[in-house]
Amino acid sequence: MQLGGGTQTEPRVASALAIEGLTYAYPEAASPALRDVSLTLECGDFALLAGRSACGKSTLLRAACGLVPHFHGGEISGQVEVAGLDAIATGPGELAAVVGYLAQDPETQVVSTTVSAEIELPLEMRGDPPASRARAVEEVALALAIPHLLDRAVDTLSGGELQRVALAAALVTRPQLVLLDEPTSQLDPVAGDELIWLLRRLNSEWGVTILLAEHRLERCLAAADRVVAMDSGAIAYDGSPRDFLSWAQESDEALETPAARLFSLIGLDPLPVGVRDARRTLASTSAAAGGGTDPLLTACTFSSLTSRRQQPHSPPKKLSEEGIRLASTPALDVTDLWVELVSGDSPNDVLRGMDLEVRRGERVALMGRNGAGKSTLLRTAAGLTDSVRGKIELPAGIALLTQNPSDYLVRERVGDELPGSEGLAALRTVGLEHATDADPRDLSGGERQRLALAIALAGRMVAGDELPGLVALDEPTRGMDRARKADLALLIHELASRGAGLLVATHDVEFASAFAERVVLLGDGVVIADGPTGEVLSGGWYFATEVARVLDLPGVITPEQGAAALRQGVDD
Amino acid sequence: MRSPFAYTPRPKPLQLASPAAAVTYLGALVAVAFLYSNPFVLLAVGIAVVLAGRLAGAWMAVRAALWMGLTLALLIVVVNALVVSRGTTVWARLGEWPVFGQVDVTAEALAAGAVLGLRAAVVMVAFAVYSACVDPDRVLRALRPLAGRSALTATLVSRLVPVAAADAARLRDAARLRGPGAAPVGKAPLARRLLAGSLDRAVDVAATLELRGYSLQSTHPAVAVTRFGAMRAKKRYGPVGGRRRSRYDRRFYATGVLVLAVAIAGKALGANSFSEYPTTEIGSGAATLAVAAIVAFSGLAPLRRSPRRTIARTPRAASTSTPAGVRS
Repeated sequence: MQLGGGTQTEPRVASALAIEGLTYAYPEAASPALRDVSLTLECGDFALLAGRSACGKSTLLRAACGLVPHFHGGEISGQVEVAGLDAIATGPGELAAVVGYLAQDPETQVVSTTVSAEIELPLEMRGDPPASRARAVEEVALALAIPHLLDRAVDTLSGGELQRVALAAALVTRPQLVLLDEPTSQLDPVAGDELIWLLRRLNSEWGVTILLAEHRLERCLAAADRVVAMDSGAIAYDGSPRDFLSWAQESDEALETPAARLFSLIGLDPLPVGVRDARRTLASTSAAAGGGTDPLLTACTFSSLTSRRQQPHSPPKKLSEEGIRLASTPALDVTDLWVELVSGDSPNDVLRGMDLEVRRGERVALMGRNGAGKSTLLRTAAGLTDSVRGKIELPAGIALLTQNPSDYLVRERVGDELPGSEGLAALRTVGLEHATDADPRDLSGGERQRLALAIALAGRMVAGDELPGLVALDEPTRGMDRARKADLALLIHELASRGAGLLVATHDVEFASAFAERVVLLGDGVVIADGPTGEVLSGGWYFATEVARVLDLPGVITPEQGAAALRQGVDD
Repeated sequence: MRSPFAYTPRPKPLQLASPAAAVTYLGALVAVAFLYSNPFVLLAVGIAVVLAGRLAGAWMAVRAALWMGLTLALLIVVVNALVVSRGTTVWARLGEWPVFGQVDVTAEALAAGAVLGLRAAVVMVAFAVYSACVDPDRVLRALRPLAGRSALTATLVSRLVPVAAADAARLRDAARLRGPGAAPVGKAPLARRLLAGSLDRAVDVAATLELRGYSLQSTHPAVAVTRFGAMRAKKRYGPVGGRRRSRYDRRFYATGVLVLAVAIAGKALGANSFSEYPTTEIGSGAATLAVAAIVAFSGLAPLRRSPRRTIARTPRAASTSTPAGVRS
């Protein structure tokens, strides 16, 4: 029954996020971090925020949760509305009721000692009564499948578990909008995939609007409804994932996914947003060709192939004369190695009778889930951890770069970190000899990593130029975009060509496929697979590249190899 | 690596008990250690806290505290022997020392130092058990209605101290991994770097707190800042301090009160008879031994009884009858 005679107006439903003409510069910054950004997310959207490092993704997320400008200061113009609240006039405290934020490093966003206390904290701050707090904690723990963690101390959790706890703390107030800044960068492929699909489920079942910033697009593109790409602080693309791939192909190849690159190499349309999509397209193409002519010839236009065939994904292994001389000698020889670490009240065998040999000039990726023993092996080799049994030999020494390169930087001038001729030789090795007068803090992320590597190498190079037998890197690609990863892969090739054995612990299968010639897969402290990269990364599901998952062909892991295999299938 | 003293949740009575109950129990033992100088009673307190820690699964914390406590005790014994020359039984005359003057090592001074050292070791073990078994979040949450901001500050400190320790360990590792050709890292640059890292972390934590709504002025009585506000909230919503009550609370309250009552009564009855000088006299009367026995026995309070088995009784007739269709 309608009372009154006036026309009834529809209640205005506020967008989850509405940004209009936002320009923002950090205090004392030379140029703005965001330039005239306009973006609207409706309730229930799942948007992926893509772009190279330092393009403004994190700043945009921080503006959406109120940290910019309230926490960071700076100059801001434009409008930001979150669920109808003015984020520029309202502080992050008030916005916390409608927006949740999850940063890259969960360590920095956990403030309590136990998991239940951490999840409960936002509700306590809000003044919710104990009964409703208890229920909300229980609900969110069930939703994120972490009820078994509630009574654990936060410093006993793995990276994946801690990330889930931080997500639970962000979700416990039932926010309308959740912002995530590279949440999978520290997770192994298993935990990373689980987190993305958990977000998809929360989006579908709870209707939570999600804005997810990520570099590993192949991992999350299929889960997103929409992609927003940024470039130099401005929005360069806003549209569907499929159109995004076409845009990336034209505008920024660093944002292309491996499957999309495979399709573009063989000239197949439409570009796939995920493995399932790619398989379906390939199957339907094959079926459409049905019985008559060659399956791929009907759909493939090979015009694009010719232009890219000349760019191999990874440079061929070219050893210098010195490298060839050294290649037959071992860089690392591990025999029946047992390492025990104390966890909780009881010692725990992290490495259990491991055998491994790495030769000089070899490029080896050390992979495995979190806690498999990768870092422990590197730390034991470098003498930071003692073994309880077994033998570990490094005939020509080791230089280890740990997960946080900034830990190596303690002075305010590059030249002060690396004085003298040995320092200069190390800087020359990583291509930073021009930066001796620079402040390490002014270097880019990739340059800081190279500087840290130079610090680890300095003085360990025999006869001035010969590298130590083994150069080990522990998770060197955290938070890196694809362009920076490609630079790092080139550096690894260069160091190996000069005779160093390269042992790189990584979760990033695409990066491993770009630099490694051999992959060692660890599981629970033992080697469970060891072989050529193509063989190991094409034989599984989690530890397999996107192209391997699409094509499921032995030894085919990169888009170039996939295109060549498909082309060969056509030719045959 | 985690500190052995870090709180580790375990399904043991002491960890499951409310912070107030655990503090009452452990606090009573510490109080006895300060009330008494009789070595038998002090030893009994030592046995009780070691037993309690062991039963609570905090053996690593107990072992570490024992190691540190006994080292400290040894130091106290030596220092006391050097600075106190009272006592009639001289074991060694060490002559004139520049600061101490005439140094005579007496058996009484050694005994007095041993008692002081034992007390220090016992108290350290008790605090180690507290640290490893009592959830600091629950303690601070219980205090929050009285002083919310201070409690949160204490929470942050309790969280950031181990984080800073982990940062320091990481920086030390990185310093060890520097090549011999890189500039060596002195203590000052390392400390500066650690401080800078801690400030960065503090900024991150401050941002997280902002996002968790720390700046909100809550009007809800559950977080009211006055004591009476907290009492009203408790009446309306139940206990503020935790989402779970423990069936072990009564046991710890009762044990704590009993230990304290026995200690006070024992002291009134002369159970603390001990004199260091001029000759050491250690009382070992019935009262002393009774207090010591009760205190030592209180260490069993965290013992977890195995669940009582419920036996379903079936009627005799049913159990003896032969099922239909079965011939005996």
